[in-house]
Amino acid sequence: MALSRRDFIKTAAAGSLALGAGGVLSACGLNAATVADVVHRVPGPRKHGGTLRCAITGGSSADTIDPLAAVANTDFSRVNNLFEPLLGLTPNAEPMYVLADELTPNATATEWILRLKPGITFHNGKPLTADDVIYTFQTVMNPKAPGAAAAGLASIDAKGMTKLDPLTVKIPCVTPFATLKQALAIPTYSDVIPVDYNPADGIGTGPFKLQSFTPGTQSVFVRYDGYWQTGLPYLDEVVITDYSDATSQVNALLAGEVDVVNLLSADVIGIVESQGKNILISNGGGWNPFTMRVDVAPFSDVRVRQALRLLVDRPQMREVLFGGHGTIGNDVFGIWSSDYDHSLPQRQQDIDQAKYLLKAAGHEGLSVQVVSAPIGQGTVQAAEVLAQQASAAGANMNVLQVTVDDFFGTNYLKWVFAQDYWYFNFYLPQVSLATLPTAPFNECHFDNPRYVALYQEAIATIDDAKRTELAYEMQQIDYNEGGYIIPFFPPVIDGYGANINGLLPSKGGLSLNAYDFSQIWLT
Amino acid sequence: MAEVTVTAPVASPERPRKAHPFRDVLVRRLGFGLLTLIIVSILVFAATQILPGNAASAVLQNTATPARLHALELQMHLNRPAVAQYWSWLTNLLQGKLGTSLVSGASVTSLIGGRIVNTAVLMLLSGVIGTVIGVGLGMLAAARRDSWLDHGLSVIALAVTALPEFVVAMGLVVFFAALIWHLFPAVSVFPPGASPWSSPSLLVLPVATLVIVIVPYTFRMMRAAMVDALESDYVEMARLKGMSRWRVLAVHALPNAIAPTIQVIGLNFLYLAGGVVVVEYVFNYPGLGQALVNAVSDRDIPTIQFIVLLLAAFYVAVNIVTDLISLAATPRRRLPRS
Repeated sequence: MALSRRDFIKTAAAGSLALGAGGVLSACGLNAATVADVVHRVPGPRKHGGTLRCAITGGSSADTIDPLAAVANTDFSRVNNLFEPLLGLTPNAEPMYVLADELTPNATATEWILRLKPGITFHNGKPLTADDVIYTFQTVMNPKAPGAAAAGLASIDAKGMTKLDPLTVKIPCVTPFATLKQALAIPTYSDVIPVDYNPADGIGTGPFKLQSFTPGTQSVFVRYDGYWQTGLPYLDEVVITDYSDATSQVNALLAGEVDVVNLLSADVIGIVESQGKNILISNGGGWNPFTMRVDVAPFSDVRVRQALRLLVDRPQMREVLFGGHGTIGNDVFGIWSSDYDHSLPQRQQDIDQAKYLLKAAGHEGLSVQVVSAPIGQGTVQAAEVLAQQASAAGANMNVLQVTVDDFFGTNYLKWVFAQDYWYFNFYLPQVSLATLPTAPFNECHFDNPRYVALYQEAIATIDDAKRTELAYEMQQIDYNEGGYIIPFFPPVIDGYGANINGLLPSKGGLSLNAYDFSQIWLT
Repeated sequence: MAEVTVTAPVASPERPRKAHPFRDVLVRRLGFGLLTLIIVSILVFAATQILPGNAASAVLQNTATPARLHALELQMHLNRPAVAQYWSWLTNLLQGKLGTSLVSGASVTSLIGGRIVNTAVLMLLSGVIGTVIGVGLGMLAAARRDSWLDHGLSVIALAVTALPEFVVAMGLVVFFAALIWHLFPAVSVFPPGASPWSSPSLLVLPVATLVIVIVPYTFRMMRAAMVDALESDYVEMARLKGMSRWRVLAVHALPNAIAPTIQVIGLNFLYLAGGVVVVEYVFNYPGLGQALVNAVSDRDIPTIQFIVLLLAAFYVAVNIVTDLISLAATPRRRLPRS
């Protein structure tokens, strides 16, 4: 379900009345009764008009407005306003229908029927039809130039997709794909592009349409008057400017030259609030793990991996890195996934046990090198804190810091002990990307036959409860034998001006409720 | 005084070919300059090859599956041998084609043409204002030598020299933009295609930062050279003749003090070519420095090559110009050495 009523009342009581979510909720369609109820409770009128000025970091001349190629935050901030997915995420990180009206599997999860909402048009006036959906998947899955989502949607047989009627598509799968709804809900993964799509013109169905775009510099979007969600968006114009670092971003916010800024560090919360601006803290489900290769000594010994996991003082690390914000991790990913096992005991620092395990493994006074780069929030500090904490157990950990590009260069996915960053994904779809021997990003080189068997059973199980049980058993294996150390799920800290309304904290891990600017209005 | 009055090309009749000192210097330095640029381009290209990863992996980052990586490498022509890549870049350059960006596919000139103008405006404004202020203050301090003004200026100059440019920039932002007074914009963001002078207030803080950073050097050199000149016999003589203080300073002392200062002014301009990177970063000013930082992190070789060559050419040009100006300001050096 979407936002529960309790959540909503809590939000309202907290005074941060970010209730622009009517559109998202009605688009959700998974829980219509609650949605209608909530929308009627929204007090006060919302204003139309105005320009939202956004300062977004992470961009470069590689910036793109092509949802198939989105990588950086600047890309997501643009793509998410020009294009829309079949399914998206609610602020609570649950799948919700956006362009899709319904998506139903057959009994074996080998075939899905997708029905589109009627009356949706692209920015060039063309109506959204089944042809566009088929074209989208065939473009994404094109083996010669696969899109970013291709790996996550690999089970879809894009070539076999057929149009049943103008708004209905049959999606066959090469292997069972019970988690299709979850897989499609990941930002940009199911963004629909029109037939005869040109990556440069940004024509989608989103609330804003492209006016101008200069990679690495700035984009200007204007309100799309034919937008299907009546009354949205409130803004007339959105200007997104690339910022090279957080300092100039904060300066611009404080001086009132921009309205929203993304991904701040916890250090600036005080100064931003003291100047009458607002901070939006989201407990995102993105994660910045340490990755240990389970096929290379010393990490091939599970006792060494478990010892390192026990060395981490997670609350201290979270305090140092994020001023106590964010969520403590338990070495299992997919924290906001409905099938995440919250009953696994929280792993805590246990130096004695860690020393014991290292000694038993013959690695007393372990000496290892961790490769770190500023790839995600706090990654380098996390490595330094881990090294510090490891010394308590007599382990000698040396941090080798490289640049982001070196990190993702030729050694990416081959580093023996390193880090990575991931946006939120649901548990099983994430497994298909990272922890199966066939996964494209198996950075830990994890290969566990029982785990693979469980996954294959789960992915063919339509029944949510049964699938969740299987996922729980897989998480036991992650928890006891996996190659990841997941000490925390970093908070997403954004800033916005006093006249900005309609921003919600969200669990998806992207800033500013996944850069959904359709809900924002100015006062 | 004796040194200045020697005017004797006749002193060495055996070397008549030295009759065109400017042209000789220019031709020789231009030749070396061109060689330097070619070497720089090879070094830069080699450096980009040594770095792990390429433009494709830099663009895809953690979304780089082998299939996507391969597709993008093909599209960027990164599958060819490095030497072939360099050779086609060089031959294109000689035909006047400056290359296309690997990551955006647009021509390098269209991507950074506007940025060149932006950075040039920032550098020229800062350089000229900084030079005028530095020379003026230097003269003033020398003329009022050992006064409280002189000591005060020297202390301030010394203190400012110790501050890195980002500290100066942040200080200005804190005081004049973000926290204390909201007088000027805290960032210098203007739409692509707009010129920086369309809203001059955007230039105030970046230019002020660079001026503050370069003035002390010009000031100190000017003051020292001026003090030397003022202590010389010919200035003594001029004073004894009863010339006005201003005339002594401007007509007799300044021409002799300017030659060493020109070298410092040249160095300042060279510094500006690098110093703007930091200032552009702090103010998010859309200039070359930012473009270079982006290009390096994207492994966008044609863009890196173009910007680096442009900066190298600027270095060469400034060096030649300062040498020519100091040659003009030092008649003695135009003479053949015996």
